[in-house]
Amino acid sequence: MAKKYTLDELLIISAAREIHDGENIILGVGLPTTAGAMAKALHAPHATLMMESGIIDFQPLVPPNHIADANACRGFSYATDLFSAFTMTYRGFVDVCFLGVAQIDRFGNINTTVVGDYYNPRARLPGAGGAPDFISYAKRTILTMRGGEFVNQLDYFTSPGYLDGGDSRDQTGLFPKGSGPSMLLTTKGIFRFHEKTREMYLTQVHPGVTVEKIRKDVPWELKVADNVTETERPTDEEIDFVRRFAPTEAVGRKMMYELGAQNVLRKAQERGK
Amino acid sequence: MDRLVSTYVYRAGGKEGGSAVERALKAGTLQMEDYTNFQYNARLVAGMHGFSFMQVLEGPMVTDLFKKRSFMGDDKYKVIDCPYTGKKTLTVPAANPDVCIVHVQRADKFGNAQYWGALGSVAAASLASKKIIVSCEEIVEHDIIQSSPHLTLIPAYRVNAVVEVPWGAHPTEVLGYYNLDRAMYAMFFMMDTTGDTLKLWMDEWVYGCPNRQAYMDHYIATYGSENLDAIRAKPYFSSPANYGAAYTSSWDNNGLERTMGVTLEEMEKMMEERGMLYG
Repeated sequence: MAKKYTLDELLIISAAREIHDGENIILGVGLPTTAGAMAKALHAPHATLMMESGIIDFQPLVPPNHIADANACRGFSYATDLFSAFTMTYRGFVDVCFLGVAQIDRFGNINTTVVGDYYNPRARLPGAGGAPDFISYAKRTILTMRGGEFVNQLDYFTSPGYLDGGDSRDQTGLFPKGSGPSMLLTTKGIFRFHEKTREMYLTQVHPGVTVEKIRKDVPWELKVADNVTETERPTDEEIDFVRRFAPTEAVGRKMMYELGAQNVLRKAQERGK
Repeated sequence: MDRLVSTYVYRAGGKEGGSAVERALKAGTLQMEDYTNFQYNARLVAGMHGFSFMQVLEGPMVTDLFKKRSFMGDDKYKVIDCPYTGKKTLTVPAANPDVCIVHVQRADKFGNAQYWGALGSVAAASLASKKIIVSCEEIVEHDIIQSSPHLTLIPAYRVNAVVEVPWGAHPTEVLGYYNLDRAMYAMFFMMDTTGDTLKLWMDEWVYGCPNRQAYMDHYIATYGSENLDAIRAKPYFSSPANYGAAYTSSWDNNGLERTMGVTLEEMEKMMEERGMLYG
């Protein structure tokens, strides 16, 4: 019987399947690194994994704590600096990058900076980081959203997707042709962007989720593919990889914090004896 | 602090969480200017090389990073026409911080600072700064530096002070010395979600510790030294790069000059004979 899997695992595995052999990938911390590590281990052995801190061609052995965590791998092939990691993207040498999303609009424009007014925010989010430059120049960008929201109007426009849709991104003359977000992964389903209108549409739903349930999260009339399918189930091999490489990712943040706190407490009690 | 230029602000605790920066912004006591990682790094690269500005990637021109400005106003970005292609070019002004405090793996007593791993902005941030304070895990012999100059990011002549501080980056990591202390790191971000808990943390771990040794002593008393042993790095040494050469003297083992094939005495005699010497 095939193994059961968590939604977090499904997301990671769906992302990993978007990485092809021989590609150059910029990875962020969390889901992307696990997806990258899986792709390299299982189906893309010649992918070059990169982090913007200048760690190039690495094979993570444990999930990195941040994008400059060289302790997560046993050496790597090329040590360069942050400036060069971005200019290599600018010059077209990066095939795929991964970005997290807090707010997204129908054309894949992204906010990761504030909720509310920029000068007087309700919540101050991390900000730009590497996102605006990577999504501008990577050949494709895979977006992930866990706990974020679909909005008609971004509170702050941090990273450029397809701007006003259609050919408006190309019209600016600022971006390489064909670049921009290629898919959005959420905890409920998978979205892609229409070739002509550049509007996002739903292509796959995760098990236990309905199209109607997803529509409720989206404040505009969501377009849906004619042949919406259920997200392909992960293989046992893929599930095993996630659990061995990134057990805390497999269980999700809530269970990690719960068990982590218990573990700290238990250690403290043992010392007290 | 009333002004902050930043590219990324950690925020813990999801919707209910928060950060010191968020609280200050909400209270109206802090003005903040946002850049991308690359853009702020480019400001430092300009500063490091003595240029007044740096070209950056033009894509973010369409975003609110470009459109929404705080205290820097017009000087946050300027768009110029490239003098060669005529293309609209986004630029940022040079940054030359007053002081950079940087923690590295090792340095010599002169201040030559060696750092390896994720190079990130370490060289640019240091070298752009007017004063540089190097703290390091170990002060090593000058010969170690001399035989591995590719690891030196900051040369001695730029360094104002060097200080040996073992565990100086804790609870974050230093490659080759120790890993990030996940529990302590998580604890800080948890405490940072409210002003009151952050104050407790700062009183205990920063203001309550007169120096770094006191901080480490307090850590060991609280969590035990086995916690530190668990994050100590195991060796995985860089293969030595051979900086050796064929010889280290112009004179061979027989005392002959390698190009002319004569001894020093013979050479001096000939110089005398040819009337080349004065005085």
